[in-house]
Amino acid sequence: MADDAGRLEPGGGEQRGGDVERSVLPPVRRPTELERLADWFDGRTGFGRYARMALRKVFPDHWTFLLGEVALFCFVILLATGVFMTFFYTPDSRPTTYHGPYAPLAGAQVSAAFESVMRLSFEVRAGLLMRQIHHWTALVFLGSIGVHLARVFFTGAFRRPRDINWLIGVTLLLLALAEGFTGYSLPDDLLSGTGLRIAYSAALSIPFIGPWLASLIFGGEFPTLELISRLFVFHVMLLPGLLIGAIGTHLLIVYVQTHTQYKSRATREDNVVGLPFWPGQVFRSVGLLFLTAAVIALIAGLIQINPVWLYGPFIPYAVSSPAQPDWYVGWLEGLLRLGLPFEPTILGVTIPSPFIPGIVIPGILFTILLLWPFIEARATGDHAEHHLLDWPWESPIRTATGAAGIALFLVITLAGGNDVIGVFLNVPVETLTAILRVLFVVLPVATWLLIYWLASSQRRRRAAGADTSHIRAGGVAIRRTATGGFEEIDAIEGDAD
Amino acid sequence: MLAAVGLRPYGALVLIAATVGAWALIVGPATLVAGAGQVNQVASLDTGRALYLQGCASCHGSAGQGTPNGPSIVDAGAAGADFELRTGRMPLAAPSLPEVRQPPAYDEAQIEALVAFVASLGNGPAIPDVVASVGDLARGRQIYIANCAACHGATGAGGTVGGGFVAPGLDLADPRTVAEATVVGPGPMPAFAFDRQQLDDLAAYVEELHHPPHPGGLPVAEVGPVAEGFLAFFVGIVTLVAVARWTGRAPR
Amino acid sequence: MNDRTTERPERMRRSAPGDRQEPDPPPLAIPENPMAERIVGAAFVAALLAGFGLLGVYLLGGQTQVEAILLTICLGGIGAGIIVWSQALLPNRIVSETRHPLRSEPDEEGGVLAAPAITRRTMLIRLMAAAFAGLGAALAIPVFSLGPAPGRDLFVTPWRSGLRLVDDQGAVVHRDQIPMGGLLTVFPDGSPGSADGQTLLINVGAGLLQVAPDRLSWAPEGFVAYSKVCTHAGCPVGLYRASLHSLICPCHQSTFDVLRGAVPTGGPAVRPLPQLPIKLQSDGTFVALGDFTEPVGPSFWNIHSGG
Repeated sequence: MADDAGRLEPGGGEQRGGDVERSVLPPVRRPTELERLADWFDGRTGFGRYARMALRKVFPDHWTFLLGEVALFCFVILLATGVFMTFFYTPDSRPTTYHGPYAPLAGAQVSAAFESVMRLSFEVRAGLLMRQIHHWTALVFLGSIGVHLARVFFTGAFRRPRDINWLIGVTLLLLALAEGFTGYSLPDDLLSGTGLRIAYSAALSIPFIGPWLASLIFGGEFPTLELISRLFVFHVMLLPGLLIGAIGTHLLIVYVQTHTQYKSRATREDNVVGLPFWPGQVFRSVGLLFLTAAVIALIAGLIQINPVWLYGPFIPYAVSSPAQPDWYVGWLEGLLRLGLPFEPTILGVTIPSPFIPGIVIPGILFTILLLWPFIEARATGDHAEHHLLDWPWESPIRTATGAAGIALFLVITLAGGNDVIGVFLNVPVETLTAILRVLFVVLPVATWLLIYWLASSQRRRRAAGADTSHIRAGGVAIRRTATGGFEEIDAIEGDAD
Repeated sequence: MLAAVGLRPYGALVLIAATVGAWALIVGPATLVAGAGQVNQVASLDTGRALYLQGCASCHGSAGQGTPNGPSIVDAGAAGADFELRTGRMPLAAPSLPEVRQPPAYDEAQIEALVAFVASLGNGPAIPDVVASVGDLARGRQIYIANCAACHGATGAGGTVGGGFVAPGLDLADPRTVAEATVVGPGPMPAFAFDRQQLDDLAAYVEELHHPPHPGGLPVAEVGPVAEGFLAFFVGIVTLVAVARWTGRAPR
Repeated sequence: MNDRTTERPERMRRSAPGDRQEPDPPPLAIPENPMAERIVGAAFVAALLAGFGLLGVYLLGGQTQVEAILLTICLGGIGAGIIVWSQALLPNRIVSETRHPLRSEPDEEGGVLAAPAITRRTMLIRLMAAAFAGLGAALAIPVFSLGPAPGRDLFVTPWRSGLRLVDDQGAVVHRDQIPMGGLLTVFPDGSPGSADGQTLLINVGAGLLQVAPDRLSWAPEGFVAYSKVCTHAGCPVGLYRASLHSLICPCHQSTFDVLRGAVPTGGPAVRPLPQLPIKLQSDGTFVALGDFTEPVGPSFWNIHSGG
């Protein structure tokens, strides 16, 4: 290793530009352990030349760019806790008798799946903590995806060339929803069984293919013995595999395309201004990973979630009220609750009542979301590449549309909890539903108009040139060259805030 | 009358249940109730009538026949009267007000007198015998999930049953009123014909729901995924956005 | 640790002799911040202690809340330490680099695929596509093994004429079990707990029902039986407001009028809950007079075809 370490000395080789600073370096320095390890690895793989490219890559620096990382770290936590739980979970719908320590279920007929979740919760040490971290993380995972998606949307980060990554991102959202729903159903408890019943009915409602589709997915008429083992394969193999692949691609594309950046005195369409990946961004991201885990661990350990022992095993003829799915599926449940009693039969083909609110409207909403970059490009005629982010007021129509979407999501999510909210507000649930049906139409429209007006007036005000407070300070003194080196440039003037 | 003596304080119920309950199984429940009932009956009826005419007759009529302001309670029976009075649902300050659980307006002796009087009006159900301590939790859970959870919720937190009606939470429901409610079917609630064993089992499980184990921490989940989702978003996500904000602050 | 911070910045070394040498970043002074160093150190020590504390709690039998708090301190200590380090003790140098076009340079063959040798054989390409389509069709076959053909499953339940009404434990139901204003979930004898056979037997009392005359005979002495499977999305219609004779589904609040043949009076359901023809026998038990005359549960496209 001694001769290897000796090569740390600079010298020899072709030097290209920017070597003026070489003279100020210390003549000799003993390599650190980390460097020796890196050198050991490099000496056997030659990986250093690629690592240097990656480690020195510049990432623009803004806290909103960390929201996607929060989602990523949630996924890491989900994988870690999920693997642990897999060691204890039995994916089997077949009945067994519960003999565990929870007295009210003593001797009860439960499925093997439910029994294993009870064992994990009451008999495996730290099992309940793992299960609660997993469940809370799932709730937060979907939320952080939503916040990240909102950031990308409202800053126009999805525009070419990142429309491809928007497609992958929305696909990730769909996969995460499916992953969440299948996981929610695995304990085979009374509450989640009701959710599966509704999912079956929604599949059944699709004209022509519904009965076949429902039978193929569920293995026959609901409920079936195959169901839990199928959900398990989806939850721990197919969907996580797809998620890992899609997340990897998502990140690779971010790397290849380099990140977008906010407008500032230093930033232009043809440059990237920020912190190099190593060490600044790596420290920051690793720190954020641990902080994300810490926040979730605290919530998960102190606040009980999904007490399946109280709900008990799934029994097809029993139901508990209020009956809700986890929050991220609440909007689908809400659409069904807002649905009108409308079930026409046209030429012998019945359009079941759940079809339009449960299948058609979610399909339309997701299609609009998925294709938004192309819809916007078509509408504005702007097909150019964009690397500088918009501020929300710079594109009033986009911002108003996004806000209307959030308003719609809010209304239908609240509708999914109309029974609980009705009791809370002391309003009959039917009245609340009627109000929400009106808001379903009115609130998005009103929100659109309001936000459009606000954004437009803001844009006019700023266009008048008086206010430049949104221009961030510059201060760049170093420029990274095409091949990964650095060169000094003139400091960019910026009004430090 | 067994439950009437033993219900408050709860500890007394356990004692009486252990001793008298065993005896009751031998002698037979009918004998016990009838025998205990006759002792106070004569004295109570007069007091009960007086209280009734003062507090109830304006709506339910002087003989319980009902008026435009209130329904007939001729066949409400001891169980119905005891349930309404003990849970404070009756008397109402005004006929138009909704029936909600309140501290009882009468003391123990007054309730007993009123109950005896209402029971004498017709052929209503007697106060059911129930001893939660001899009930079986597992069987009770089964009965509860099959018959009660649809409205009162698997956790006993209560919930809407539509039309502005609410199935109340069972956190204050004691074995006696639980049993009375199943017999009477108060308000929009249906009536049930549980036998004595089933009532004991059910009461035992409702008692269990008052203090179920919460190994996972704060039991916000008693209203289920709505509360969980609210917390996930307004505690979890908000905190994590703040953490990201702090993590990503401009380095100095 | 303190010594290390006074060192000059470390530099990437070139990967191999003769490799193209990139200029290293100009040196930056490493920030001196003793206060931040103390904070980072304290955070790491807290994490260390909490980690071993967690181990101790676990070995002593475990307690979820204590474990969670110690885990939070351990994770949070590491995280906060690293973040403070990155913010206060690293030379956070803002760097600018040039953004390069994403599109690849065209090579001499033109285009990325650049394969006239392949594209010239138009016919073969089409045939190959057809071959893959054939393979796709062949591979689709196992998909149909995933579940039985829907067939008549959706149109029938286990109810048959002459089957006695039993409860969820399989015990024969007697009329005394259902007081006036009461209800019970019943099943066909031999299928207790059946998902599509679940039926509500409700005692509304004689003379109140307003159903068609032929269906009135299906409800002896005011005992009327309706399917418990909601015709909207299939949840058990478990909520019953006895005083108003209305059944409510807790999932989407479809409401059904028990006195008028369980027609929906609110919520998204459209079809009434099917009524089960039953007979009250002299011993106070009930038997079914047949299956439901229409499909139970949620609608599907050919539900009105009669199967």
